[in-house]
Amino acid sequence: MSVAKIELENVSYVYSKGTPYEVTALDNVSACIKEGSITGIIGHTGSGKSTFVQLLNGLEHAQEGRVLLDGKDIWEKPKEIGKIRFRVGLVMQYPEYQLFEETIRQDIAFGPKNMGLDKEEIEKRVLMAADFVGLERELLDKSPFDLSGGQKRRAAIAGVIAMKPEVLVLDEPAAGLDPLGRDAIFTSLVNYRNETGATVIIVSHSMEDMARFCEELIVLSHAKIVMQGTCSEIFAKADFLSEIGLDVPQITGCMKLLSQKGLSVGDGIYTVEDAVRELSRRLSSL
Amino acid sequence: MKNISFGQYYPAESLIHRLDARAKVILALLYIVCSFLCKNIISFAALALSAVVLVLLSNIPLKAVFRAIRPILFVMLFTVVLNVFWTKGESPLFSWGILTVYPEGLYNALFMLVRILSLIIGTSIFMTYTTTPIELADAIEQLLAPLKKIKIPVHEFSMMMTVALRFIPTLIEETEKITAAQKARGADFSSGGLIKRAKALIPILVPLVISAFRRADELATAMECRCYRGGDGRTKLHVLHYDAKDFLMMAVVVVFGVLLIGLNMLAIGYTM
Amino acid sequence: MSDAFIQVENLNYSYAEEDGREIPVLHDISFEIGRGEYVAILGHNGSGKSTLAKLLNLILTPTSGRILFDGKDVAEKELTEDELYQLRRKVGMVFQNPDNQLVATIVEEDVAFGPENLGLPQQEIRRRVDESLAIVGMTEYAHHEPHRLSGGQKQRIAIAGIIAMLPECMIFDESTAMLDPSGRKDVLRTIETLNREKGITVLTITHYMNEAAKADRIIVLDDGRILMEGTPAEVFARPEILRKAGLDVPQCSALVEGLREAGFAISGDCYSPELCAEAICRYIQEKRA
Repeated sequence: MSVAKIELENVSYVYSKGTPYEVTALDNVSACIKEGSITGIIGHTGSGKSTFVQLLNGLEHAQEGRVLLDGKDIWEKPKEIGKIRFRVGLVMQYPEYQLFEETIRQDIAFGPKNMGLDKEEIEKRVLMAADFVGLERELLDKSPFDLSGGQKRRAAIAGVIAMKPEVLVLDEPAAGLDPLGRDAIFTSLVNYRNETGATVIIVSHSMEDMARFCEELIVLSHAKIVMQGTCSEIFAKADFLSEIGLDVPQITGCMKLLSQKGLSVGDGIYTVEDAVRELSRRLSSL
Repeated sequence: MKNISFGQYYPAESLIHRLDARAKVILALLYIVCSFLCKNIISFAALALSAVVLVLLSNIPLKAVFRAIRPILFVMLFTVVLNVFWTKGESPLFSWGILTVYPEGLYNALFMLVRILSLIIGTSIFMTYTTTPIELADAIEQLLAPLKKIKIPVHEFSMMMTVALRFIPTLIEETEKITAAQKARGADFSSGGLIKRAKALIPILVPLVISAFRRADELATAMECRCYRGGDGRTKLHVLHYDAKDFLMMAVVVVFGVLLIGLNMLAIGYTM
Repeated sequence: MSDAFIQVENLNYSYAEEDGREIPVLHDISFEIGRGEYVAILGHNGSGKSTLAKLLNLILTPTSGRILFDGKDVAEKELTEDELYQLRRKVGMVFQNPDNQLVATIVEEDVAFGPENLGLPQQEIRRRVDESLAIVGMTEYAHHEPHRLSGGQKQRIAIAGIIAMLPECMIFDESTAMLDPSGRKDVLRTIETLNREKGITVLTITHYMNEAAKADRIIVLDDGRILMEGTPAEVFARPEILRKAGLDVPQCSALVEGLREAGFAISGDCYSPELCAEAICRYIQEKRA
């Protein structure tokens, strides 16, 4: 039985409360994210995803409800919220625009330095993080300006991994990257989880990516969680997903068309490998 | 924070909203002159009354007007204190230690208060509250157009202002994002001495400046691609044009100025 | 020949490193884009596609080779300011970041920016602004402030700003890369409308397969060379080449590839879920018959 790493209990968050611009970002949301899982958060723009992730490390403070890390309210001691941010590492959208140091090495060291670690440990962490994201060591002494877009993105993610967070949260980590850059990043996230046992939470619009890399999914729509479960459970409800304005992986769409045409194929198939296996079985029995 | 409106433009339906933007700039200048014409209690009372009339004419709620005054409350307080204690008159009203207060001081303080208040109300009602920043930029460009003859880059200044107005909300949003990202890496912006705090801003300022340059570069390319070559030969979607109400309003303010001069002649009470 | 709007002939581009080494980026690229055609240039980051975009936009000058717009060589010598201006009004560019293309604080003022630069009379500007906003479906936002709009909406305003100059051709340089799926769909729909209904020649430069799938023709770029050229069906039927070019293979193409390897001779185009499902059903019927 897996243990809950992060729990949200009846969390509500309203922006610009009491003004004409009031927007409810999250409305009485409860969720549970399993320790050591790779959990995806999906939902259309404005469904509350960005607020959701910013609540997890205390960048935002919910007006109602609690966020629990290992069963403890993260706001129990408000003065120590900084420590929570080291335990729950957050990579925001387009993180490469936040690089500011002269060299990549110094930039990755920013987090560990703020943690108050000693020099030796910082250096160790920088190398560890660079290895995780697949950043060659000779790039470490270069300026962020000399790196390609994909490399900068990896460097920025390394800056958070260097804090060795128990929970790593990423908002659209592959936005705008090409297939090679995207696969490199997702693979490094899977490696980080496998080697450290950390919990990884990913927000993305790409259902294909979510289907390939996540185990659990949380579906947000209009400030509420409308579904939570494994990928096959979620993608089995393709109709509901399109109803709330979300896509399904191409393969799921194709399988659905086939079953409409009278070919009985299993529900909740969302990867190419599974589809090939399922269809081979069906086609051989003709 | 996405909802910030730059400037204080308050959308409403009113006579003043409908005036030509250039007329409003001229009106604001005339009104400033008027506020300096006042010399005695009668003319200052007339000025205060005119400010009230302006607020009523513009359909701007008092709450919004107060927002314009709030930032300068300290300046007003300072002016009052300065005038009360530093004006020397003939017979002291009372004295307290080294401080002596004369009735002239109280008058001066009151007059200055009315002048500052009506200045703020006049300029914000005529310009910032009822005119969008872009109309204002256009108006100023057109009013200063004659200066182009002596090679002053009027169009360029107006373009700069427009672009600045366009990008301020974008940059504010970006600042918030970068701040959040650096906080997520443990940056601390709220503790330590002045130098420590200033240093803590580097992780925000560096990316912000880099991003601003990148945006400027991309915007310049995009503008060139849209055939921008400076102000020569450019036409406008919105052409400003004066009509009767603009001239009428200007006439009213000029007459008001003359009236103030007249009122100053009346020998009533203290004259500044 | 006469109906080609863009002609690129033996285009080479290389830049000099600090130590004087010449780094080649584009090798002998040649292609033509016909008037009214919709073509996608597909390539991963570093394939040379952004360099190609900068060359087409005349930000860079080719090392050798020719670029012709509407029969006029634009790379052979420095263009005069007037020639450049004439070219800009004929060939519109839409870039990646919608924020950095909008100039004015009100939507309709921004759309008017191009026509104002062309020195058109006020009524004509008004007409073009209204028409352009209608084409991109943003009429009701005419008086909004751009910074309050979503990415997809901003990008449609940027497109409206270009079509208000009545260009013959539009080049989209990674114009959907920063958008969310619904914004991307809206922008792609707009691009299709421009091409199919308004007859505007469209060239999109992208690494998104579903964006390229809408085009009449795809040019696949890898390592500064043209790797393949063909209709979406032809290109997506070659998963091995797409993988070599560092691009995504549409999941359905990969599925059929897997089934063919498993010995099922499924034929026909199958890059979209619809086509794929049809092809599989066809196969089943043939088997049963």
